[in-house]
Order: sequence, then C-alpha cells, then structure tokens
Amino acid sequence: MSVQAATSLPAPAARPAAIAFGIALAAAVVGIVLPLLVASPVTLSLATQGLTNAILATSVGFLIRQSGFVSFGHATFFGMGAYVTGLLLKHTGLALEAILPLAIALPAALAFVVGLVVVRVSGVAFSMLTLAVAQVFYEIVVKWRDFAGGDDGLSVTLPPRVFGLPTTLFQEPGDMFRIVWVTLVVILFLLFLLARSRFGRLCFAIKDNEERARFIGYRTLMPRALVFAISAAIGSIGGVLFVLYNGFVSPDVLHWTMSGSALVMAIIGGAEFLIGPAIGAVVFLAAKDKLGDITEHWQAIIGFTLILVTVRWPHGLVGTIWHWIRRRGRGGRA
Amino acid sequence: MNRKWVAAAAVATALAWGGPALAQDIRVGVPTSLSGPWADLGNQVKRAVDFAVNEQNAAGGLLGRKIAVEYLDSEGKPEVARKQAEKLALSGNKLLVGLIASGEGLAIAPMVGRWDALYLSTINKTDKLTGDTCQPRVFRVNRPDAADAVTVKPWLATRKEMKWAIMANDIAWGRNSGESFSKGAQSLGKQIVSENYAAAGANDFAPYIQKIKDAGAEGVWVALAGRDALNFAQQAKQFGLLDKTTVAGVSFVTDNTVATLGDVSKGIYGIVNYSSTLDTPANQKFVKAWQAAYPGTEPSNFEGETYIGMQVLFEAIRKASSDKPGDVAKAMAGATFDTILGKQVMRAADHQLEGPNFFGIVAEQGGKLRPVIQNTIPAAEALPPPDGSCKLPS
Repeated sequence: MSVQAATSLPAPAARPAAIAFGIALAAAVVGIVLPLLVASPVTLSLATQGLTNAILATSVGFLIRQSGFVSFGHATFFGMGAYVTGLLLKHTGLALEAILPLAIALPAALAFVVGLVVVRVSGVAFSMLTLAVAQVFYEIVVKWRDFAGGDDGLSVTLPPRVFGLPTTLFQEPGDMFRIVWVTLVVILFLLFLLARSRFGRLCFAIKDNEERARFIGYRTLMPRALVFAISAAIGSIGGVLFVLYNGFVSPDVLHWTMSGSALVMAIIGGAEFLIGPAIGAVVFLAAKDKLGDITEHWQAIIGFTLILVTVRWPHGLVGTIWHWIRRRGRGGRA
Repeated sequence: MNRKWVAAAAVATALAWGGPALAQDIRVGVPTSLSGPWADLGNQVKRAVDFAVNEQNAAGGLLGRKIAVEYLDSEGKPEVARKQAEKLALSGNKLLVGLIASGEGLAIAPMVGRWDALYLSTINKTDKLTGDTCQPRVFRVNRPDAADAVTVKPWLATRKEMKWAIMANDIAWGRNSGESFSKGAQSLGKQIVSENYAAAGANDFAPYIQKIKDAGAEGVWVALAGRDALNFAQQAKQFGLLDKTTVAGVSFVTDNTVATLGDVSKGIYGIVNYSSTLDTPANQKFVKAWQAAYPGTEPSNFEGETYIGMQVLFEAIRKASSDKPGDVAKAMAGATFDTILGKQVMRAADHQLEGPNFFGIVAEQGGKLRPVIQNTIPAAEALPPPDGSCKLPS
C-alpha cells in the first residue's frame, strides 16, 4: 500500500486499532506471567472463576453498550455453554473438538431466533422477556433429571486430550487462568474492533434513535438481533470455560440470580466502558469472597455498594477513574 | 482527604486479604449448610465437629499436634459446596467432612483427588457416592439409602396398607430413597399410587398433599429433611393427611424435627440412623460428655453420625501416623474402627462403613417425645454387599 493510499484512509480508525492491539498483546503477556507471581492456589482458582464470570459480565455489558438492552437472563447463555458441553460429552460420542464450537454456536443461534422477537420491545419489557426465557431453561434443566441431573447438577469428565493438548491444562488453576485471561483479552479486542466497524456504528445509531435509523433506510431488527446473538456467544464462551475448569455444572448457573449478579458486575464496573464489566466482575467476586468470610449478610453489603455506585458513581468504577484521570489531565476540576 | 481515604482503603484491603497460617495444626475443613433449607442439619454437623475436636484437643490432640477446624457455608447448593470445599482444601484444610445434600457430595467427589484432599461423608445418603461414582479419596460413615431400604422392609412387610405414596426432595437423595422404597414396596405386592418430588426449600406442599389424598394412598413414605420436613409435616397435619394415613420416612422425624413439631410428629414411623438412647457403654459415655459440653441437650441423629465420622477420621490419622490425605485414605480403607456404635469396618471395596441401622416411631420416652427404636438391624444385615458398580483402583 502506498503512503498516499495509506494517508487517504481514515487515519483515526486505523491508529486506535493498532494501539488497542498493542495494549491487548501487552495485557495477554501480563496474564501469562501473572500466575508465576501468585503463590496461593486458592487465589489463582478464585481469580480463574472470577475471569469466567468476567466474560459473562462482558457479554451483558456489551449488550448494554452496543444496543442499550438490559438483559435479566444472560445466565441462560452462560449455562447453555456449560450444559451443552457437559451433556454432549456425557450422552454422545462426539469429540470435544466438535463439542466446543457447538457449545458456543447453539446458544448464539438460539439467541438470534429469540432476539428476532424480544428486541422488538425495549426497556423493562425486554428485561422481563429475557428473564422469562431464562426461567424456562432453568426449569427445563431442573425438571429433566434423567438427562441433565436436575438440582444435583452434572459431573463432566473430560477426555484426556483436546486439540493435541492434555485436558489437565483446563483444570490446573495457573494454566486455566492464562487460558481464560487470554480469551477475555481476545474478546475485548474483537469487541473494540466491532464497535468501530460500520456494523458497530450502525448499532450505536440504532441505539440512539431506532426510528431515525429506520427512516434513513437501515433495517434495524437484524442488527439488534445480531448484537443479542453475539453477546450470547460471548456468554456461552464463559460457560464453556467454566465447565472445563470445574468439571461440574448445576442449575445455579442458569438461575436468575446469576443473571442479576452479571448485571450488578457490569453496573459496578461501568457498562458504558468495554473493560468496565470485566473489572466489575473481579471486584464483585473478590468482595463477595472476602465479605462472605466475615459475615453471612454479604449480599446486603453488595446491595448497599450497588446503590452507592449507582447514585454516587453512575459511570461505574472504570467510568469514575476515567473521568478523574481526564480531570487531572486538564489540570483542574471539571 | 481523598488520598487519605484511598490509603486507608488500600491498607484495609491488604489486611483483609491476609490471614494467619496454621501449618503445624492438623486441619479439618467443614463445608456445610449454615444457611438454606438444611441449615439446621449443618448446625448439627458444626456442633458435633466442634465437640469432637475440642474433646480430642483436650486429650492432647493428635500425633502431638492440635486439631484446627474451619467452616464455610455451602448453602446446601452443589455449586457453592464445590467452591467452598475447593477453597478449604487449597488453603490447607484437606480433610473434608460435613456436606449435607447428596448433590453436594457428588459435586465435590470427582474433585477431591485433584485437590489432594479427602472427603468423609457423615450425612450424604445417595448410593451413588459409594456406587458408580465412588472415588479413591471419598469415604462414608453414615448409612446409605440401600441400608435404609433394608431396614424399612421388615416393617413394611408387617403393614396392612397396600397403597403407598412417596413425598421426597427432588435431589439425588430424595430420588434414591423414593426409588428404593418403591422397589421394596412392590416386591411385597404393594402399589405406589403417587410419586411426588418437591424442590429443596419448597414452601407450599398443599398441591402434593392433595394429590396424595386424591390418589387414595393409605401410607406415605417421606424423604424430606430440615426446613422441608417441618413445612411438609405441619401442612400435612393441617390437611388431615397425618391423621388418616400411616406416615413413615427417613431424615423426616429426627430428634430436632420432633422437638420443633411436638405432638404433630407423634406416631410417625421412621429410620433412626443413630439415637442417643442406644445402650452401649461407649455411647453412654459420649452422651454424658455431650451433655456436659452442651447442657440440656442430647446428641441428635446427625450429631451422632458426624461424631462417628470424626472418630473414624482421628483413628485413621493415628493409624497412618500422618495427616496427609493420601496416607489417611490408605489407613482408612479396609480398617476396623472403634466407634460409639461398636467396632465397624470401612469396606475397602466401596469405602462404606458397615454398621447397624434402626427403625422406630415417634413416642414418649423418659417424659420426652422422641424417635424410639423398635427394631434393630445388626451390622451384618443392615448394609447390602457392594453391587460391583464401584470400581476403585486396587
């Protein structure tokens, strides 16, 4: 490509992508090195589980950020990713290599079909519809005891190898931390690119004013359903990693409280920022773990924190820090 | 001002994240239901473990070391149980006891080896734990469903009721118990006219009670525990089910539920896995010590079973001269243990402790309403032989 051609391209679109790629690469390296610095297997294991939840929170945050929809049922896709992996391993002779893409594709396809219906409404109605769909799946798993193990959950035994690698990698806290961390970094980077793409900008336009976007000739249903499906696919990746690490899945991961927690994580971290929900997830789970050791009433403290964050720092932790840095950069108070 | 707050928060966070290590102690981890539908059972486990540990520490500890115990709330949920057990095991409390729901035990069983830990069940009843999902590092001291099925059958054979209903928790234990009872009843020519499985923590049993009445059941087999047992018994009384049908169950009318239900529980039959009234010198000594530690109380069935678990665990540590889970597991398999119910063998084939089982009725005894033993099934007969589904590496 000639210099002239390069300079004729919209430079602002290319440079941030290159910077983001550099940041993502650096973040991936940090994640790979980090387990070497953590001596405690408990901390590593908690961090690994926290990161799988961070992927779910990222999917919820992405949906809010990209389309303005607040889902109360995203645990469905996380749970489906986990259950599809577990059930196909248990009941079919399929190889794990074939199961893994299916466990992401099936929830995404379901979300797309459901999305074609539910994205036609917005606000509380959308939230309630996602909650209703989620409860349907929760009840199916709880009641279908012979197939999915009901309330007792499903123990999942992994084959010895997948893609030529030993599956013990997935169950060792240090290795799995690296795998989940890098996956999260890749997801965040791809979402960054998506937000800056033509499709991403169209979604923002629809989010701002759906009627106007439709009026100027864009079809608005399909993009919204696609965003819903992409966010479901991200959630299901979290679920797949969750079941690979834990070797066990129970209906708890499909329950509305899991969806609620993911939403709380996104709000605490700051849903309008790409990285906010992931940060929120880590803070939420670390606080839950420590508060749970101190008091049985940790939910009340989390609830109070949520009220505080919503009222005092409506942009979430990341948003508050971001605005604070910008103010400092301008050398005064905003 | 803001900086001071940030600094204070950072210090508080750093302090909260730290914690004293007790590397020299023998460390026992107890993930159990301190909240949720089985919180009452979890608190019984806690009392029994505290009692056993205090008693042993007062006698000089084990291997010249003190025993330390750490509790975490499993909420009665398999997923939480798995997380809490992992947290305990990876932080050094590798000798695990105390989970309540069978699903919790099944959830951690495949992980115990990965954590280099050992799990000793004192409450989980599903046959699967020592059956097709048995694990080298998983053991059980309490009576499984299969033993309860053997215990109820002689009583059932004497009953004239031909139509029976099942009311159980929709978890591994409830399902297992319901299926075992169905098989036993049908082998005696009786009919199961209604099968009902309620989610753990259900508040409204009215639809189930109505269904049982509509089916014309003459007897009801109940496998509910804790808060579910109390809710069902009270509602069954209100709907007249307890007055018109024969009711029997497992973990349903226990020392604690009888104390709460009072006269409502009178005349209900049930499996008694342990009773403080058992007349053996070892048990009497235990009950006396218990009453000194917890004045005005007697050890309940779950407390007795958990204490037996702690006796087995301590003796295995002594036999192994080590508290490493691998060594303790080796010392436990196939060994004979001196417990408050006499000498009991931990079967090497499936890691199930042999022992007697009892059947009784809630009645007045010594001026107190309690489950009173009517029939004792000796250890040699109480536990069916391993069914071959458990494949442990030799």
